[in-house]
Amino acid sequence: MNSLAITLIILFAGSILTFGLDTINRKLTGWAAFAILIFTAIYFYGTEHNSDFTFHVGGVTLKWGFSQLRLIFINIILILSVLSLLYSIDYMKDKARLGYFYASFIMTVLGMMGVVLSKDFVSLFIFWEIMTWSSFLLIIYNAYYKIKTEGLKYMVFSAIGAYAMLTAIVFIYHYYGTFDMATAIEKGVFSFENHSFIPIFFALGFAIKAAVMPFHVWAPSGYANSPMSFTAVFSGAMSKMGIFGLLLVFTTYYVSHTPGGYVFAQVLAWMGGITAVMGTIYALIQTDAKKLLAYSSIAQLGYIVTALSTGTKLGVMAALFLAVLHAAFKGALFMVAGAVERQAGTTDMTAISGLIRRMPWTFFVALVSVISLAGVPPLGGFIGKWLLYEALITESHNYFLVIVIFFSSTAAFLYAYRFLFGLFLGQEEKETKNVKEAPLTMLIPMLILSIVSIVTGAMPGLIFKPAAEAMQTIGFSSMDWQMSVLSNVWGNNVDMSVIGSFISIVFVLIFVFLTFKGRKTTRRVGTKDISSSGELWKEGENWTFQQDFFKPFERAAAPFYKLKMNNIWEDLGNALEAFFNFSRRIYTGNGQTYAMYVVGFLVLLILFRDYIFR
Amino acid sequence: MVISPVHYIVAPLLAAFAIPLLTKLYKDAARLVPGIVLFYNVVISFELMQQVLKNGIINEVIAGWKPPWGINLVLTPFTAFLTTMVSVLGFTIWLYGFRFKRTLKGGVVKYYEILQMMMIAGSIGVIITGDLFNMFVFIEIVGITAYSLTAFYRERNGAEAGFKYLLIGSLASTFLLLAILIIYTQTGTLNMAQIAERMGSVPQSMKITALIFFLIALGIEAEMFPLNAWAPDAYEQAPSPTSATFAAVVSIAGVYALVRVLFTLFDVSGVHNYLIVMGFITMLVAEIAAITQKNLKRMLAYSSIGQVGLVLIAFGIGSKLAVFGAIFLMLNHAVIKSLLFMTGSYFIYNSDDKRLVGLNGMHKQLPYVSALFSLAAFAIVGFPPFSGFWSKFYILISASNQKMMYLIIGILLVTIIELVYYLRAVGRIYFAKEEMDDVAHKPSLNALVAMSFLALFIIIVGIYPDIITGYLSDAASSLLDKMHYVQQILGSK
Repeated sequence: MNSLAITLIILFAGSILTFGLDTINRKLTGWAAFAILIFTAIYFYGTEHNSDFTFHVGGVTLKWGFSQLRLIFINIILILSVLSLLYSIDYMKDKARLGYFYASFIMTVLGMMGVVLSKDFVSLFIFWEIMTWSSFLLIIYNAYYKIKTEGLKYMVFSAIGAYAMLTAIVFIYHYYGTFDMATAIEKGVFSFENHSFIPIFFALGFAIKAAVMPFHVWAPSGYANSPMSFTAVFSGAMSKMGIFGLLLVFTTYYVSHTPGGYVFAQVLAWMGGITAVMGTIYALIQTDAKKLLAYSSIAQLGYIVTALSTGTKLGVMAALFLAVLHAAFKGALFMVAGAVERQAGTTDMTAISGLIRRMPWTFFVALVSVISLAGVPPLGGFIGKWLLYEALITESHNYFLVIVIFFSSTAAFLYAYRFLFGLFLGQEEKETKNVKEAPLTMLIPMLILSIVSIVTGAMPGLIFKPAAEAMQTIGFSSMDWQMSVLSNVWGNNVDMSVIGSFISIVFVLIFVFLTFKGRKTTRRVGTKDISSSGELWKEGENWTFQQDFFKPFERAAAPFYKLKMNNIWEDLGNALEAFFNFSRRIYTGNGQTYAMYVVGFLVLLILFRDYIFR
Repeated sequence: MVISPVHYIVAPLLAAFAIPLLTKLYKDAARLVPGIVLFYNVVISFELMQQVLKNGIINEVIAGWKPPWGINLVLTPFTAFLTTMVSVLGFTIWLYGFRFKRTLKGGVVKYYEILQMMMIAGSIGVIITGDLFNMFVFIEIVGITAYSLTAFYRERNGAEAGFKYLLIGSLASTFLLLAILIIYTQTGTLNMAQIAERMGSVPQSMKITALIFFLIALGIEAEMFPLNAWAPDAYEQAPSPTSATFAAVVSIAGVYALVRVLFTLFDVSGVHNYLIVMGFITMLVAEIAAITQKNLKRMLAYSSIGQVGLVLIAFGIGSKLAVFGAIFLMLNHAVIKSLLFMTGSYFIYNSDDKRLVGLNGMHKQLPYVSALFSLAAFAIVGFPPFSGFWSKFYILISASNQKMMYLIIGILLVTIIELVYYLRAVGRIYFAKEEMDDVAHKPSLNALVAMSFLALFIIIVGIYPDIITGYLSDAASSLLDKMHYVQQILGSK
């Protein structure tokens, strides 16, 4: 039997198995789920996938296949979810409904794998929906009241996206007579020439998943409220499904730059740019670390969307690079937030501070990931941003967009710092004195992910190679790349490996330092110590300034904060609800009225019979 | 013994007369005999379906009076499929309700079982009859049993719902009789095949007047807006197995009657558009009403109406693929909605609160039932990989073939409404704060078997629909091939 089908079947069976295992042995559930994912990964990487899997069902040919482009996304999915699941074992230990959690988790992985492996539109839709409902089950995991707000918001938006896709799919079948992706693309489905609503509907579905503004409303609370161990996958891998889909929609445009496609790409690029700016601005004012990361995710996805909409070789490369990197650092950061939540009880940055001594390794991960996120050389995030700027400046000449991206990228420093400072630096609070470092199973995944950020900074070729191969499969010409040299159009070459290895040593030193520093006890400060400027502080006085972080900036950016897409959507929802309540009164509950309806309808039909029936 | 369609009707009738006598001998006969009869129905329906698919249409003439004079029972692939479906579901519902109210005093359960069986038998009769007046009689049987089952609980609400149903139902009978009268005066026959043959010579005005009366009368049975106001009350107040039967059997028979009359008897243009428009309005209004409901069974009732609306839309589109999708959806609706009523009634049974609030935290007390309810909720919304997805998918494809883009978008938007209230209910079951403690009423074994059977069906058909699509395809083409139907019936004169 086909190896791809077996992979998906393992996941499906594994999901059901873990659900049942919970009732038998609670402790084993997490490890069993982990074993299933590891086994899937080993099986998947250990077998050759030469042939497509085709399956005729219900008059439709389902086709699953493998390609280099898909491999990149599969790597993101599999590696990130294996790590997150390892992380979940301790993170979820004391929580209820473990079987439910792990079964939905594995089902989500199945959905994502299926989306990436699909070579026809029907299986794409099927797996897309499986992915959506299983992740919905995880978003609402924490409480019922969240269903009414976050869960439903997510589900309604996802459903709008998915149904837009479904509409496009059935029309593809009508116009092109096939569900097969390769055939349909060859016939020009995504050429934006005729029936251009089809790619637009597809893009709507994918853009919603990638949380592009103005369809991002579900994302902040969705990311922030699901269990952190899942949010790492949710933000790191599942939002990438939107990116994967957008790459798919653009395949024709990348090869032959159609005018319709150009307009669309420009619009999407700007949407990405605006998303980046607004996401960043909103991330700045968050006081909850999880919310901050959620908005930051939205902003980062904005970069990726902009990058892939440039339609140039470097742009797509930047998109792929950033996609991988975002999975690494944002996965790690959500895990950090989860670790803090588990150990310190909250992620409210105004409530806790100074965790650096208590959780030095977690701090190290946060530090590396934040540097990578902010795009500071020489970590992986920098390379991605570099490619993006280069693509925008030299290839698509979109200077306004450069300014927009540059602005948000700079502002990202502010929230990145706020995250780091709010949780880890500053004065140590009494309440957090007894906080312990996270358990090893939670640290290992985080450390692995931060190593990814460091290594790709020194050797970006690790990602260039598969990305270049992937881009050839979607029609780009082959690309020069070197393992660790960045070059630009003016002929300057920068060897990242020297800088990278130097910086790596620095990071190792920081790591060692933090480990030892964390063990030292607090230094007593005497009255003559100048580090306190001779001022004495009282017991319990708060010397940190987490409360009004970036107040001046907030004041300056105040007009932006009034633009709340959420309010518009909520008003729409309320209006609809009022309308529903009004319409429901058709059913009055009075039998006589009902009889009147029947007779009235009869009269109407007779009166208008000539117009209705001919 | 030669199996013939007559058994569908004779067996329940005989049993209905025999049950009061048998209960004198053996107390549990009232509960056992309907099961045996319904199981017998299942057996013969499978046998007959095989015969129909192998040898073509079965035309059973009653008492040797050949059509057009006598009454004939017709099994085409379409009706054979529907009877099989209805029989299987009828039996499953009997199995589910086997222990229903057995502790109730005063022999009530006897009446309940007889009525329930007759309702199913009447529905099968509606489906298999080839005679217009005979159809009227069966619709009356279904109606009368349904009115009394609605008022089964002797309390104010039940009586009120039963009375409303009776009021609207008798309007339906009146108009149906009028329509049949007009047809009879114009064509001089009551046999459906013969009417179809002679319809061409009927004056247009008469034809349309008759059509309108049919549309009103059968629209009431098929729960079409604005004629469906009786339905929510009836579904809500009837005992839960009966609500499941309303959804799985009675509404199917109603839709069948409407479709048979429109597709076989009449060839009026505009009917298709009428079905699409009214189907969409039905669906929209029903789902809007469903989302505002606070009562679980009422919500499910409105959702049923919504599904029927979609079925009507699909029949209105009228291509073979659309009819195929419509029959598939009828099947899915029958299976999934009866599962929802079955599981839902356990929630109501256990919470003393018929409102949705009663679902809060139920998964602790009823883990298996909750899982099945969620499964059914996901399936009816149309999430893959459950069976509900495929029917919706085929209907959308057929709509796209007619370039009905706005219809597709409309259907999908309404689906989002549906999705919201089902997921809200699922969320309540799993995540809301549980307020009550231990629960006395665990599901009985027979109910578990019945529910698991339906759930299994949903999953298997969802993953591999091909096990059912062959039958559906035959059914769809047999409904659309009117000439073949007429020739087969009249040819055997």
